[in-house]
Amino acid sequence: MGVTVLQPYSVPEGQTGPQTIEFLAKRLLALGAVQASTFIVDCETFIPNPQHGTPKTVHVLHNSEYPASTFAVLDTGTKQVPLVADALFDLLMLKMAPAHTSKKQTKIESKGARFEYGDFLIKLGSVTMAENFKGILLEVEYRPCVIPSNCWELIRELLQGFLGVSIPATIPPYFNTPSIMSMNHPKSSEIFNPNHTKQNDVYQPMDTINQYLEHFGNFRKQTMLSGGTGIGAPLRS
Amino acid sequence: MSSVEISVEAPIEHQIQEIAYDGTEIYQPPLTLSENLSKCAARIDFSKTSLEDLKKEDDKKGDEDVKDPTQLQSSLWPWDSVRNKLRDAFTEICVLSDVLSIAKEKRYLVLDPVPQELQDTKPMVQVYARKKALSQAANVLMSGAERLRNTHSEQRNNRNDFHIELLRLRQNWRLKKVSNTIIGDLSYRTAGSKFMHPGTFEVTKAEEDPPSDGNSPSSSPAAGAQPPCPKANSALRVNVPSELQGVAYIKVITQKDQEDLCTANVNLMGHGQNITPQVGVWQKTLEFAQNVLFCKELFSQLAREAIQLQAPIPHVVVGNQIRATLLPGIQLIISLCHSTGQDPTPPGPINDHDHVLEHSLHQLLREVHHKNTHHPFPHPASGPLGPSKKHMLAGPMAADRHELLEMSKSQTLLEQIISQAQHIFMRKRTQYVLDTLARDVKDPQIVSHWNLMNSPTMSCVKINIVTHGYDTINRTSLVIHVKERSLKCICRDGRVMHLSYEPQELRDLILCQINQHQSACLLNLAKCMAWQVLSNSNHLGIGPVEPLGNASSCLLASPNGDRMIAVQIICDPQIDVKVYIARSPRQDFFPSPLVPGKFWEHLGGHFKEVRFDKLEGKNFLNKMEFLMASLTSSS
Repeated sequence: MGVTVLQPYSVPEGQTGPQTIEFLAKRLLALGAVQASTFIVDCETFIPNPQHGTPKTVHVLHNSEYPASTFAVLDTGTKQVPLVADALFDLLMLKMAPAHTSKKQTKIESKGARFEYGDFLIKLGSVTMAENFKGILLEVEYRPCVIPSNCWELIRELLQGFLGVSIPATIPPYFNTPSIMSMNHPKSSEIFNPNHTKQNDVYQPMDTINQYLEHFGNFRKQTMLSGGTGIGAPLRS
Repeated sequence: MSSVEISVEAPIEHQIQEIAYDGTEIYQPPLTLSENLSKCAARIDFSKTSLEDLKKEDDKKGDEDVKDPTQLQSSLWPWDSVRNKLRDAFTEICVLSDVLSIAKEKRYLVLDPVPQELQDTKPMVQVYARKKALSQAANVLMSGAERLRNTHSEQRNNRNDFHIELLRLRQNWRLKKVSNTIIGDLSYRTAGSKFMHPGTFEVTKAEEDPPSDGNSPSSSPAAGAQPPCPKANSALRVNVPSELQGVAYIKVITQKDQEDLCTANVNLMGHGQNITPQVGVWQKTLEFAQNVLFCKELFSQLAREAIQLQAPIPHVVVGNQIRATLLPGIQLIISLCHSTGQDPTPPGPINDHDHVLEHSLHQLLREVHHKNTHHPFPHPASGPLGPSKKHMLAGPMAADRHELLEMSKSQTLLEQIISQAQHIFMRKRTQYVLDTLARDVKDPQIVSHWNLMNSPTMSCVKINIVTHGYDTINRTSLVIHVKERSLKCICRDGRVMHLSYEPQELRDLILCQINQHQSACLLNLAKCMAWQVLSNSNHLGIGPVEPLGNASSCLLASPNGDRMIAVQIICDPQIDVKVYIARSPRQDFFPSPLVPGKFWEHLGGHFKEVRFDKLEGKNFLNKMEFLMASLTSSS
């Protein structure tokens, strides 16, 4: 249990996705990382039937790092309600078929190899939506620490080191959102303390899921716009 | 032949109806002829069916048919019964004639002769049959008499009633009635056991005399092998299946090179002592049988685990024995002893057994039973029963791979008992090392405090090293955690050392601690005496090589600097101290060509060894104090 940061990586021109992943894997192995099995994170989106009041989308996610759990995010448009549940939650969603229907075309997943490199856990995920390759999403976990702001620099250095890409020095925007503690306060908008953000809070498994959801959303938008932009271009290929 | 005629007639006297007070007898008027007739007719028994009777009856019928109409009018009552009977007879005759007429026609009814079985009446057979019948009748009578006598004797002896005994049995044991027998349940199934043995017993009524047991048809063959009841005042008898009879116990032996270290016998026979007097002898029998069942379950569980476990040195299961290796050269032997002898004498020495392993084995199986029946709350209404609370919460609490892997690890009974035995052994070994050291090393005293509260696989000892009389100057303390196969020593300065199961390592550690204690005390003492510490080293790199690290040393100077004491403390294999003193400048200085000036004497260096064992003082510090004091005062 540590801090996880997600980083999309754009496929260089003239190369296919699998080639890029193979290339990154070789680099990791050369660094001394050890491959330790594989991983998969999948996300299924349930769209409510229009006759059932206000539209509330439900995203159901699974993460192979947490094999016993099912994660769900209820998206009302203004607010996101997270839920961690047992694996039986999937069966519950099937029962709710009249209210929510799953759109199989939007099922998106990121899967690939999992590398252990000292205290780091690096996952090279290739994102596919309905069997179509969408891009590469890297997950880096620093296991000994639980406060994101304390280890962001370490993670950034590692990312820069093996990707050969310059990573912005600021922590990803997800960690700048107010933490749960300050959000629950009735006057949260008035007395918002910039230090009460997620980067100074204890990292939760749900944070990983929220980041995945955010990036999956980006990939879906890209599909609609039919253009892909990761951050930064590789310095050397 | 002269024949004498005897006429028999009714006496003339009439029957006396009443005797008046004055003695006059009032006679009944004699019956008239018709009255007499009707009386006689009423006496006729029409149900007689023999031929002669029938004939007579026919005669009478003829007579009465004549008289019938006349009598009917005159006196209805006396003839009424006769008339009714006759009418019935008439009806029967009519029916008979109808049947005959129909049979005659042969259209509707045919009469066939019924073949009459010819009885072969051999006289001998008849005799035998009668004899048999008689003997059966006699048996019935005899058994009735026997039962009566039994109840009588029971009442006479104030013996408890069978039913009251049964009631008491029911208060303690599960019973049910199957057709004509009462079956009881010995098994631990209701307590959560999953052992396959049925564990049933049968309840019968006890016979009166012990020799009659064999003849009684009710006693099953198992009753013969049952140990006889010590007291005969129970009306109830329990028949336990033969495989549960006798006495069983589980023997645990820790063996080092074929030499027993400790033994534990698991048997629940201690329960027999606190039987309350109102329960019968059967209580003991049933408890023994239940004990046998429990031991069998425990052993079969252990044997199964011993085969499944993948130990570096595989466990051996031979017959009624399991062998497991605890530490190199030390074996744990668990054996099931089951004696089905007639006498329930507990074999083997019970005096020197270890209660701890006995209790642990017992407790471990009970725990398994408990877990089988008690599922932790809350459990989901729709989910499966069985997984632990941790597993239930794993999903909603988002447990990761590593945590789930940790959860799936569980220790089997055998692993637990092995680790407990290992711990017991380690604890004994540590105790032995500490005790022998405390005995051998007199100078700094070694005091060990064992924590009373400990877990079956972990205990803790605190060791204080102090010098008698100088305990305020310095005290070296360390804590040792005794685990299953290793020791963890925590010193006061925060250093943590992990030691293996070899006792020599602990011994060396304590010796090193003593060494450090002595030098630290000396430094503190010097401070109190206003001596200066010139140098101090815990690991003096010079001198002969010691097997256990190096000697420690320190160099002290007197307050005005003219005397020096050098101390070397060697801890191999005994604590040994060498003390040297030097004086500079020497008072008796004679200039020589080599050392022309007195100022050279300030360099020091002429150390002379003190015969330390000849010094006054109780212990090392005391001697050093005297030495320092004497050197200070003389300056």
